Amino acid sequence: MGQAQSSTSEIEKNRFLTGAQAIMQSLVEQGVHTIFGYPGGAIMPTYDALYDYQDQLKHILVRHEQGAGHAAQGFARMTNKAGVCMVTSGPGATNLITPIADAMLDSTPMVCIVGQVKGNLLGTDAFQECDVIGMTMPITKWNYQVVDPNEIPDVIAKAFYIAESGRPGPVLIDITRTAQTDVMTVPFSYEKCNSIISYRPRVEPKKEHLQAAADLINAAKKPYILAGHGVLISGGEEELKAFVEKSGAPVATTLLGMSAMDADHPLFVGWPGMHGNYGANVLTNSCDVLIAIGMRFDDRITGDLNTYAKQAKVVHIEIDPSEIDKNVKADAPIVGDAKATLRALLPLIEQKDRSEWRKEFEKYDQEEYEKINKKELFHEGNQIKMGEAVNMLSEKTKGEAVVVTDVGQHQMITNRYYRFKKANSIVTSGGAGTMGFALPAAFGAKVAVPEREVVAVIGDGGFQMTLQELGTIAQSGLPVKIIILNNNFLGMVRQWQELFFDNRYSFVELQNPDFITIAKGFGIAGHTVKDRAELSNSLDTLLNSDKPYLLEIVCEKEENVFPMVPAGGCVTNVRLD
Amino acid sequence: MKTTYTISIFTTNTVGLLNRITIVFTRRRLNIESLTVSETERKGVSRFTIVIKSESREFVEKLVRQIRKITDVLAVFGYLDNEIVFNEIALFKLASPSGGKPIDAKAINLDWNAKVVHFGMDYVVVEKNGTEEEIGEFYQYLKQWDILEYIKSGRVAVGKTEKGLVEYLPEGNWEIV
Repeated sequence: MGQAQSSTSEIEKNRFLTGAQAIMQSLVEQGVHTIFGYPGGAIMPTYDALYDYQDQLKHILVRHEQGAGHAAQGFARMTNKAGVCMVTSGPGATNLITPIADAMLDSTPMVCIVGQVKGNLLGTDAFQECDVIGMTMPITKWNYQVVDPNEIPDVIAKAFYIAESGRPGPVLIDITRTAQTDVMTVPFSYEKCNSIISYRPRVEPKKEHLQAAADLINAAKKPYILAGHGVLISGGEEELKAFVEKSGAPVATTLLGMSAMDADHPLFVGWPGMHGNYGANVLTNSCDVLIAIGMRFDDRITGDLNTYAKQAKVVHIEIDPSEIDKNVKADAPIVGDAKATLRALLPLIEQKDRSEWRKEFEKYDQEEYEKINKKELFHEGNQIKMGEAVNMLSEKTKGEAVVVTDVGQHQMITNRYYRFKKANSIVTSGGAGTMGFALPAAFGAKVAVPEREVVAVIGDGGFQMTLQELGTIAQSGLPVKIIILNNNFLGMVRQWQELFFDNRYSFVELQNPDFITIAKGFGIAGHTVKDRAELSNSLDTLLNSDKPYLLEIVCEKEENVFPMVPAGGCVTNVRLD
Repeated sequence: MKTTYTISIFTTNTVGLLNRITIVFTRRRLNIESLTVSETERKGVSRFTIVIKSESREFVEKLVRQIRKITDVLAVFGYLDNEIVFNEIALFKLASPSGGKPIDAKAINLDWNAKVVHFGMDYVVVEKNGTEEEIGEFYQYLKQWDILEYIKSGRVAVGKTEKGLVEYLPEGNWEIV
């Protein structure tokens, strides 16, 4: 009897894991606690293993795989750890394509675990088979197909390392059904990955490059700092602040770098780019040294490269060497992590007062305020303008909420009027410009930081692209606050049609559903506000709710977003109306 | 004026890497003139030699950095022709029916530094190593016979430096094959 017992436990001890169990155990040992996913045929063995791991891994069932991807992105942007999503083969995988492409462009760490048909069916056009490796090769930082369960721990460890280190990005692991069901032939052991011979991102900058940059900065009369997403990804806000204050240089943040600087800091001058601030754009072509930190000179920032900052020497701090000289030639490039580089650069920088130069921004700020802000914030009439809604939201949340936006006019307006006081508070789809991003991303962000107020600001068009995730939000019970700025138009396209296509409104007007009834159908309360006089109370109701809440703000129909640098134009050519 | 560049790419030996690399060219609408993949003297290291033509050195430099970004790529170099020793190999199948013009094996060998590597019933196969130009000239010479088939490899190239492969690679234990 005794002997029988000990042999059973011996068997138990030596029992090797199935591939599916190995996936679960690897995630646990990696420190993952949340998975956004959607089951289906080819991933079912892993979902079966998940059944036994429910106390260690919280799985959130989304309503569409795209929702899983964007939720994982929102989660990742809050934690700077890889968001994890798990889906089945074929259409499950293809539905993830948009979030993966989005994460690639916006440097968001993500690990996608995707089921694949049985190993012996690969390449046979089997049910729900698609070449997800081939499809995602150009939009992942790394992808890999697993056919042998023994590979699973190492591949997962490698996936997280690649996704989270260097310039973060999405990684996809395609795992055949047989690799999930087969039993490993070696004991499971998991070791976190921290180096790959063919992949060695440089974190610490080279000393000689630092000095060259410092010499340029110290000699500058009009240095101008553009801080990007890299500052937030590296957690370098304090280092940025110290650098800004010591150098006395005015600083603008990119769309994705927004909230890296306190909006009320005296040296903060807003953001550059197509709908950025007047001075922040125009004075790009007046500075003598342009200091770009953790950003990639996107065309929405630079406009016409042939006329962009030609007078300036450029210091470019960037962790991805392929971004150096890609769009703007750097006189002093530094490859390195933004935080580490700023920390190393700080002692080499001379303390300077450059307030005269900072003052040059003021006249532009004044003009922008007179011509745009004033009209949007203090107008006559009952109709609500997008700007005043966001401005009020900013005041009521004291600039401390996590703001998640979709794509379009409301996105630009939100970044114009929300005054971020706290770092890492913007989640938006910048590079890809993915409509439908905000609702699931806001949910993912709330899952990551339930203690923070998370407000999604979405247009009426984008909301209808992923509104099924209201179901996910309702089921979770998490108080995600949703604002629809409804102008009954695909507003940004309409604006372009008005300004550049001779008012020919081609398929931009929407017959919208009753959003509140839709929310109620999902079990989410909400109401509509049309009258300016009720805007304040309405926002209070939204913010005071301890449950998810949807506020539809009916806005002026044909409002345009200004300032505007027309696409491909020069940054000094800013339209204010 | 387009200049010929030879891109040498050292990679770990992994499935799908060819696709990953060619995507970088496709996205930039760049035509690949020739492509050769082979093993190297170090275990697990593959070597891609890709020849392209471009008007802009800057464009090629950006391309090289984009290729370097691929996770499984160990090192990448872009060379001008004067920086490398390079060669190609061509095979020509010539008709040699009885009663036809005889193949001049001696001239092929001595004048053209090529050789007949196979004699068939009514044909011969001639092998010629050399640069693209040399092979092109040889092709013109051979046209006096009936060329049944002609095939040429992509370029293989080594840099004109005293450095060995290991010195190009990230530090590691690179076992010799």
